[in-house]
Amino acid sequence: MKKYETVIGLEVHIELATKSKIFCSCSAEFGGEQNDHVCPACCGMPGMLPVTNKRVVDLGMTAGMMLNCEINRTTTFDKKNYYYPDLPCSYQTTQWFAPICVNGKVRIQTSKGEKDIRIKQIHMEEDAGKLVHDDWTDTSLVDYNRTSVPLIEIVSQPDFSSAEEVVAYLERLRSLLRFAKVSQCRMEQGSMRCDVNLSIREEGETKLGVRTEMKNMNSISAITRAIEYEVARHIDALENGTEELVQETRRWDDVKGKSYAMRSKETAGDYRYFPDPNVMPIVIDDEWFDSIKASLPEFPEVKKARFIDELGLSEYDADLITQSRAFCDCFEAAYKECGEAKEVANWLISDCMNMLNKKGSTMDQLKVDGTALGKLIKLVMESKVTRGNAKKILLVMDEETIDPEKYATENNFIVSNDTANIEKVIKEIVAADPKSVADYKGGKEKALMALFGKCMKTLKGNCDPQVLRKILLEEIDKA
Amino acid sequence: MERETLILLEKFDQLSLTDEERDAFLKFYDKQLEEKKALDAVDTENVERMVHVMPIMTVVREDEAKKIYSREDLQKGAPATSEGYWQVPRLVE
Ligand SMILES: [Zn+2]
Repeated sequence: MKKYETVIGLEVHIELATKSKIFCSCSAEFGGEQNDHVCPACCGMPGMLPVTNKRVVDLGMTAGMMLNCEINRTTTFDKKNYYYPDLPCSYQTTQWFAPICVNGKVRIQTSKGEKDIRIKQIHMEEDAGKLVHDDWTDTSLVDYNRTSVPLIEIVSQPDFSSAEEVVAYLERLRSLLRFAKVSQCRMEQGSMRCDVNLSIREEGETKLGVRTEMKNMNSISAITRAIEYEVARHIDALENGTEELVQETRRWDDVKGKSYAMRSKETAGDYRYFPDPNVMPIVIDDEWFDSIKASLPEFPEVKKARFIDELGLSEYDADLITQSRAFCDCFEAAYKECGEAKEVANWLISDCMNMLNKKGSTMDQLKVDGTALGKLIKLVMESKVTRGNAKKILLVMDEETIDPEKYATENNFIVSNDTANIEKVIKEIVAADPKSVADYKGGKEKALMALFGKCMKTLKGNCDPQVLRKILLEEIDKA
Repeated sequence: MERETLILLEKFDQLSLTDEERDAFLKFYDKQLEEKKALDAVDTENVERMVHVMPIMTVVREDEAKKIYSREDLQKGAPATSEGYWQVPRLVE
């Protein structure tokens, strides 16, 4: 068999984290009842004029800067024409002639080492609506909630040669764009989708082979399987003449593990791009450009190295925290407040992570305020609140903004320094349970725990365990 | 313009013209193109692309979500709706 190489290019669509749509003020939130987030502009009523959402341009620029792109200081919108009911205007407003970002690059790491993937361009555009086919009435039902939700499309050069490289690139994009708060990049919710262009050629050949495209891939594992299947199909066609390869769009069926040619209606694309006269060109002046530049976050790997070198975190802890911008922000604010890096890391990795897991939330959905977490840790370290009670306070902190000390005071979570009261409680309990006292003296450790537990319960946990233990042992000795 | 190109464009835009309409359009279109050829004489070597006919740039708004229209109002003129959806002829699958 001849030697072949795979050439892959990607178009990645990413839904931007905005409150409103790209050209109107409708909510861009995921979900909602059908056609609840619509207005005359985004459902294509005649005469409505689009007004660009500034945040979309901010985030487009941010994405470009994170991916080492040049920013087009004058950027314009164009109409891409095609007729389909999920597109109420019969055109999509996108960028063709002067996209916001061009010529970027992303460094990826695979088992074969480092490689730079070139970005051709990033453009801003609107999403399409959703169609539901109704078999009863043999009609199609249209929901325009997603219509005009802002997207960026990141177009790479055909620089990938394997599924492994594609996966490394997608994970890198996701990490960088989440860090810069451009998007949540949740593939399962469709906020990150990928079109894969693939061709095969003999090694050493400079001309590209016949290219097929798979659209709207939305899981990393499906992308890997689809690429592997397509590579095998192309090579089989070239080697054994099993079929004639044609340039086409194919649909990946992940359940069957096969790709299928799509009907021509979805591939017949002469989009007849032309400048959209209704959307005014965007000119990015120095002030705007510089403000975005200044807002860029530290790259995750830089943060990680700093957490290890300067703050003494373990590789494991630093790696975990830098998986999420929300965790990093919380960590840094809490550290600033209490000065105990390791302690903050523990709280985040065990307690906060458990709390999120129980709720089925992602790391980026952490709501705990970092400064408040720092204050809470201080209270524990100063033995003002027990660790057990601090955990209860943490749960409240993920729901609402509270001052931990004020909350602890109001809810009787402050450890009592009133040793007289502690002694009184212990004396009563020891006196009331001579059996446990005798058992402990007879060598049963468990009996001590039972007494300890009773005391703690009566004191509602507001007692330094060390102090309680010490007094309890003294009282047992006396008994 | 070639006749086939026009027929393809009709398909894209869900139109179907009669042969007479096609003849008339092609004649009109070619005449237009012929007249526009006069523009080829203009030297545009060092001219920047005009991005818009109006000298108004950067019309933007802040990212705030508002709900102004009700679904019921928007669907008043729709030929058919079903449970809050617009209802359209089924697309060939
Ligand atoms: Zn709208």
